[in-house]
Amino acid sequence: MGSFRLLEILAGFRAIISFLIIIVTWQSIASLGLVPEKYFPSILAIAAGFRDMMMSGELVSAELRTISRALIGVASASMLGIGLAVLGDLFPSFRRGFAPIAALVQPIPPAALVPMAVFMLGLGPKLYAFIVILVTVWPPYFNGVAALASVSDVQIRTGQMLGLSRWQILRQIKLPAAMPEIFAGIRYASSISLIAVVVAEMLAGHDGLGFLLIRKAFAIRIPEVYALMFVCAVNGLIMNTIVNGLRWKFAGWQSRMTGQAA
Amino acid sequence: MDVVLEARQLAKAYGVGTDALQVLGGISFAVSRGEFVSIVGPSGCGKTTLLFALAGLQKASTGTVTFNGRSVTAPPRGVAVVFQDYSRSLFPWKSNRDNVAFGMVRVEGLSSAQKRDKAQEMLEAVGLQGFEDKYPWQLSGGMQQRVAIARGLASQSELLLLDEPLAAVDAQTRADMQDLLLDLAVRFQQTCLLVTHDVEEAVYMADRVVVLTRRPTVVDHEVPINLGKRRDQITTREDPRFLAARHDVMMSIRSSRTAAPATAA
Amino acid sequence: MSILRSRQGYSALVLPVVLLLAWQVLAWRASTPLFPGPWQVAVSIWRLYPQIVGQIGYTLMRAAAGFFVAAIVMVPLGILLGRLKAVGSVLEPILDMLATLPPPAVVPIVMLFAGTGDAAKIAVIAYAAGIPLIMNTYEASKTLHPMATLVARSLRLRRLETMVFIDLPASLPMIATGVRLAVASALLVSVTAEMLLATNGIGVFLQRQQENFQIANGLAAIAFISMVGLIVNDLVQRLERRLLFWHYRSTETQNDR
Ligand SMILES: Nc1ncnc2c1ncn2[C@@H]1O[C@H](COP(=O)(O)OP(=O)(O)OP(=O)(O)O)[C@@H](O)[C@H]1O
Ligand SMILES: [Mg+2]
Repeated sequence: MGSFRLLEILAGFRAIISFLIIIVTWQSIASLGLVPEKYFPSILAIAAGFRDMMMSGELVSAELRTISRALIGVASASMLGIGLAVLGDLFPSFRRGFAPIAALVQPIPPAALVPMAVFMLGLGPKLYAFIVILVTVWPPYFNGVAALASVSDVQIRTGQMLGLSRWQILRQIKLPAAMPEIFAGIRYASSISLIAVVVAEMLAGHDGLGFLLIRKAFAIRIPEVYALMFVCAVNGLIMNTIVNGLRWKFAGWQSRMTGQAA
Repeated sequence: MDVVLEARQLAKAYGVGTDALQVLGGISFAVSRGEFVSIVGPSGCGKTTLLFALAGLQKASTGTVTFNGRSVTAPPRGVAVVFQDYSRSLFPWKSNRDNVAFGMVRVEGLSSAQKRDKAQEMLEAVGLQGFEDKYPWQLSGGMQQRVAIARGLASQSELLLLDEPLAAVDAQTRADMQDLLLDLAVRFQQTCLLVTHDVEEAVYMADRVVVLTRRPTVVDHEVPINLGKRRDQITTREDPRFLAARHDVMMSIRSSRTAAPATAA
Repeated sequence: MSILRSRQGYSALVLPVVLLLAWQVLAWRASTPLFPGPWQVAVSIWRLYPQIVGQIGYTLMRAAAGFFVAAIVMVPLGILLGRLKAVGSVLEPILDMLATLPPPAVVPIVMLFAGTGDAAKIAVIAYAAGIPLIMNTYEASKTLHPMATLVARSLRLRRLETMVFIDLPASLPMIATGVRLAVASALLVSVTAEMLLATNGIGVFLQRQQENFQIANGLAAIAFISMVGLIVNDLVQRLERRLLFWHYRSTETQNDR
């Protein structure tokens, strides 16, 4: 029975434990020399690389560019996606006409768009807006269409009996009911948005974390490359946290109903 | 008589320290070959816990279970279980026939064609011919439970443990299924241990009823039912011996309810 | 995708046709090779399709190799981790962290480790496809209903048999979600990796066209990528419908009740 308790306590600290495991494994691989140190620097070296980039200011400016691109992109893509989903819900013919476009555009990976888009849009914000929106609009759109279509008839009839207009039913009944699923889409969109931005920065080669990653890699500054990867992962966490916070605000009823914390 | 299963002083507590919940308080009884034994106890008294310990699915805190004289620590060869939660115990990706045949995965000396035939035979025995190629989710609750029973019977185990198999079906289906189960038990000479909270069902089905108290659960006493192997929903239930046995069991459940305080140990 | 067999095909074509026409008109008015219209793109497709198909072949081959490596490793591993609760719960935050790292960010490191050959590219693709696969498999196997395990034990299945015959099929619906994400991820990383470190593949083709200011050719390649993506998605979806009919049909019947 004692071992049971111990497991529970361990589970409480598992994030810390697994972080320690990563550090210890990493450090022992590095110091045992299993992999050439050139490719697998120690934690200290990575931290030093991080500090150097902080001091020179290049990390902060790259990070700000990348995260703001990703956030603005996913925010506009989500709004556009929800808007299109609402449009599709109001006008089924729009949805049908839009379906082949969605089916054709959705599978295009952002990397394939970059070379051509650079020509038409340059290296500025237009490029990132175009690429991020084009690849992240789909999850909120598809989830929105599906969720709006599956709102229960009883709830809609209730609204009709209360004398609500079509628009009011949409605003007061269908959209709130669809929000949890839309947010599942936004959450996925936020992770692809970060991917798309990093890819575009890598390929367009101008600024941002992706560009910095490539530059450091070509300069064989391995500790810096690892430090940048760590920063990228932290960005993923930041995006998740923001989306979860928003979900709690706009679709919290579901989490509260099923009795789980966000 | 030839004892198949024996429980000695089975006790089980969930949790530790102050949160501990003593569920079983030392249960002893035995089942002989060919017997149909019912265990009856109030809801939540630990019937599933007891059955899992007997099946070797969950360790008791203290006490022993022996099956054919050998101590049970893991599910032994020769014991089959029909679970209370039948819809979850069937696999939705297998057809009904494959679900039943899957009950024989560990039965040696049968080719897969023979297992298929056997599964077919068992499905027919429970009255599901024509549904072999359907899937469990295409059946009603009562039919699903019949698939689960067919799976339990298919392995031709020496002992079939049934955990409230009829608790979730409607009254008419329940009566039909009781007769079906009895019929099958006689036909395949199947030793059965049926766990239930329904006193009438316990008496109607069994050669012997083991009455449990409330938590911490022990055996209150045992009631032999001398009604023969043939039972009938109308006449058996009017038989004075049936009524007397029912009275006996109900009285002991009532007295245990008033006598024992309803606290968790 | 369902539109491939849509019966309302005609009304579905209106919006795309209008958009294509509008694009063509804009292109005429711009009248510069840097802004080609659909007609020029169609001409490029006609001229270059053997080359494009060949290059996409390389890309797809690497994407498929990476995906299968990932599936063979990650699905069993995910099921195992879901079963071994203690190990799983310690490794879970590590997985969460890896999942937040955009897969293309791994490209530079793998490039340094493994050079610029096919092995390096396949390794990055496998990593990118592996993360959604293991996340979904692990989650599914962790949250399996305990009843399935009890049945398995009462039927005296061995651990390995339980994993193969019960845990795997029961996890398949969530694994399918992982597969869809993994396929998209594999294609994306395949193209990205080519652009950064390749000698062939559609990514390289695209870059050549960029270097030579051949926008129409580049758009032709994108059109092919989109078609290939559409076909792959459709295949995945069909396969899923076929293998998981029991899942969809059983949830449908439950919803009907
Ligand atoms: N895994 C567990 N951990 C803690 N407590 C448990 C666990 N399983 C059962 N219990 C508790 O043990 C008691 C007996 O449970 P059990 O399921 O054996 O009862 P039961 O007689 O089968 O009930 P029912 O008639 O509803 O099927 C209940 O109070 C239950 O809350
Ligand atoms: Mg029970």
